[in-house]
Amino acid sequence: MSFLRGNAPAPGGVNADKIEMAVTELDTVTDFFNRMVSSCHAKCISTRYAEPDLNKGESVCIDRCVAKFNEVQKKVGEKLQSRGAANAAAGNAATGGFTSL
Amino acid sequence: MDFSNFNGAEQAHMTKIIEKRQMQDFLRMYSNLVEKCFNTCCNDFTSKALSTKEETCIMNCTEKFIKHSERVGARFAEQNAEAMNAQNQ
Repeated sequence: MSFLRGNAPAPGGVNADKIEMAVTELDTVTDFFNRMVSSCHAKCISTRYAEPDLNKGESVCIDRCVAKFNEVQKKVGEKLQSRGAANAAAGNAATGGFTSL
Repeated sequence: MDFSNFNGAEQAHMTKIIEKRQMQDFLRMYSNLVEKCFNTCCNDFTSKALSTKEETCIMNCTEKFIKHSERVGARFAEQNAEAMNAQNQ
């Protein structure tokens, strides 16, 4: 969020815009993470629940799933941006996702 | 996320917001997990009590979800750190 560094707040005061931006970013990252957890859980974890530990296959699956999920986010973002429709298609909620995580 | 450019009042404000979100997030995760484990483990309604098998399934389901979530978190953090490094170079 280095682009925020420019506007100096009154000393000791709370800059509402800055807080709002940070909250939006926090919510975007949290949402992204939660979606990743549930997608990878659905794809990697066996529903037999015979043991409480992740087995080898599941662990490897999770690692790859996270990497892929991130890559998909990047690719989709690039596609949306290259089509010049990023703002219209993704809406306000997604704009935070294109800043640094 | 970098809050180092926040002043004291802003950091305090942000900490409060984060704490509130963590609580909300936990409660949401709890209800999602109840739903997930109930749906995968409970399919027999010939008794109102949980069978031993169902209970084991639920315990494993919960334990495994926590481990899954921790692993995803660890990998996610690694990837973010990598992305940060790439950006700073």
